[in-house]
Amino acid sequence: MLKRILIANRGEIALRILRACRELGIETVAVYSEADAEALHVQLAGQAVCIGPARAADSYLNQGALLTVAKATGCDGIHPGYGFLSENADFADACAQEGLTFIGPSGEAIRKAGSKSAARDLMRAAGVPVTPGSDGPVSCVEDALAAGERVGYPVLLKASAGGGGRGIRRCDSAEALPSAYAEARAEAKACFGNDEMYLEKLVLRPRHIEFQVLADRFGHVLHLGDRDCSVQRRNQKLIEEAPARCLTPRLRAEMGAAAVRAAEAVGYENAGTVEFLLDSDGEHFYFMEMNTRIQVEHGITELVTGVDLVRQQLRIASGLPLEIAQEDVQLKGHAIECRINAEDPAKNFQPCPGKVEFLHFPGGAGVRVDSCLYNGCTLSPYYDSMAAKLMVHASSRLEAIRKMRRCLEEFALEGFPTNAELSYQILYHPVFIRGACTTAFLDDHLPELLDFSRRLSESGADA
Amino acid sequence: MNNIFAKRRARLLAMKAIRDHHAAGETAVTCPKCGQMSDRKQVAQELSVCPKCGYHFPIGAYYRLSTILDPGTFRELNEKYPAGDPLSFPGYHAKQEQAQRKTGLNEAVVTAAGAIGGHKCVVGVLDSRFFMGSMSAAVGEKITLAIEYAGKNHLPLILFAASGGARMQEGILSLMQMAKTSGALARFAEKGLLYISVLTDPTTGGVTASFASLGDVILAEPGALIGFAGPRVIQQTIGQTLPEGFQRAEYLEEHGFVDAVVPRIRMRETLIQLLRLHEKGGHT
Repeated sequence: MLKRILIANRGEIALRILRACRELGIETVAVYSEADAEALHVQLAGQAVCIGPARAADSYLNQGALLTVAKATGCDGIHPGYGFLSENADFADACAQEGLTFIGPSGEAIRKAGSKSAARDLMRAAGVPVTPGSDGPVSCVEDALAAGERVGYPVLLKASAGGGGRGIRRCDSAEALPSAYAEARAEAKACFGNDEMYLEKLVLRPRHIEFQVLADRFGHVLHLGDRDCSVQRRNQKLIEEAPARCLTPRLRAEMGAAAVRAAEAVGYENAGTVEFLLDSDGEHFYFMEMNTRIQVEHGITELVTGVDLVRQQLRIASGLPLEIAQEDVQLKGHAIECRINAEDPAKNFQPCPGKVEFLHFPGGAGVRVDSCLYNGCTLSPYYDSMAAKLMVHASSRLEAIRKMRRCLEEFALEGFPTNAELSYQILYHPVFIRGACTTAFLDDHLPELLDFSRRLSESGADA
Repeated sequence: MNNIFAKRRARLLAMKAIRDHHAAGETAVTCPKCGQMSDRKQVAQELSVCPKCGYHFPIGAYYRLSTILDPGTFRELNEKYPAGDPLSFPGYHAKQEQAQRKTGLNEAVVTAAGAIGGHKCVVGVLDSRFFMGSMSAAVGEKITLAIEYAGKNHLPLILFAASGGARMQEGILSLMQMAKTSGALARFAEKGLLYISVLTDPTTGGVTASFASLGDVILAEPGALIGFAGPRVIQQTIGQTLPEGFQRAEYLEEHGFVDAVVPRIRMRETLIQLLRLHEKGGHT
């Protein structure tokens, strides 16, 4: 078992890892930027080391500093969390070279899964369905036009190295393609330093269904069921649930098997997520991408399976075999997560972090809150605006929805606006209640939801 | 600090007011029989019956079970029994999957063990949303398994019929289910156990001609169409005008084919009474 690990992250995920470590008797070293000196993960860690100024590139992305601290503090492993260096293959390799265990897959597996066009080829070879598109990258506009002609419009142009919704352009016709191609390519170059593009058919009104997988060093791979993350805006998820209501048992088994094949194809080890698009016909699914890290929404899978994913990550990285087999994985009840972000939906979701003047989290049976906030702390403007994750677990979906509504009613945060009320309204929306949300849901219904808030302000109730 | 929660409470109340106002437009249901609008909540309270004219809206199998069984006693039998396509009938498989997605059901029948008023029993409910509740090989098998389960455990059996008849897409194999379910019921009857058949709108074709008509006690919901061939077909065949209310539950009650017409709201208590009377020894 690992003895002491460095947590190369911040916020609630640093806390989540820290908690798992304490339960396993692993010592922890937290790192922080100058902006995070007061952060909760710093306060609760065994020891904490400042690694640089606020800017992420100088601190949480500073590989040299992280490795130096890890070695100086006698760590034998590094947990990257999500975001930052979690899917950086070079960092995983650098850890290995320094004799540190990178708690995640090998650099090679990250590379295989991370390059989107290479991953598509790999998946096709492994028998995992992928969306029809260009076979491999497109090198020029003519290639892109030819591929677009073949698969039919609308199409998506995507940067091979992309993520977080950048370097992606939708294109409805051949006429619009050349300019979109140039734009996306420039954006990819600027954001990722790599302008390799590929093209695929745009599946209209799909659902975003993802499967959690776990793989150990001994070639055991299993999946822990699915999550429906269709309630999203510009690829930023807002509400997630597990299991997905739209899957028949047969389809769930089929997609789960495909997810396992996908993980096997890249030689995966540790926890990962295979994302699929489920077509609006509810039958065809396509591999979208593989996330080679723990995810923000891992908690709902933990709730319905009873498996502690971070604990499993640490065990796997320590070279231990999986504690469970696929037959042991039973999905019990239904879990929902709402991400509470410091952003103002009325002002185009502009991030608005600030000082927490007052904070009250919901509690009670079947409620879990993962957050790095405490009364009086300041949510830093330098990093992402997520303030808390509220999760509920109940025996049925409707019960879970009711529980989450109750939680959002109880939740109180004074100091800055959040999206909590928007989520609360979504939980009352008939489309959501029916479980009929596609990834287009939020875009389609946002004006209506915001209009609700506007009328609320007019009715005189204070925010 | 109290102020914070007071403010929140006020805001939540304001949200609720807007929501209720917003929802008011969507809460009316129009009755297909009398054409009058009623409040959705009121219709729900009356178990999906029009409060104006007593029309019984069709309801799903799980909802039906929830109106009948004691809370928390529901245990589904053969839930995962797969729907088949024995003849590889063109387009059938796709239609099945579509129906499965739309209804959340595996097949047109849900069978369950549970208790009604504390009396353990086995209940099967056909769901008219799934291929018009028609009897496929899987439906016949699930019903047969339920009958056998009840027989083995000496439990009373209640079947709610709602069916267009045999499943066309399964040809002769679906017709065979008539004989199979009837046979199973004959063996069930030999044990001296109680079988209550409840006919709901519509009960027709091969289902009427088999298990639905074999109940020791046959109940029906008001206004339910019950027959073998439909009224139009009969009218065309015999060339005569059919009497008023022909093939409706009340007509059949008058003519001795149905023991009682029981409104949905009184179904549970009626079943409890029947089960109590038929319990061993008949002590009340």
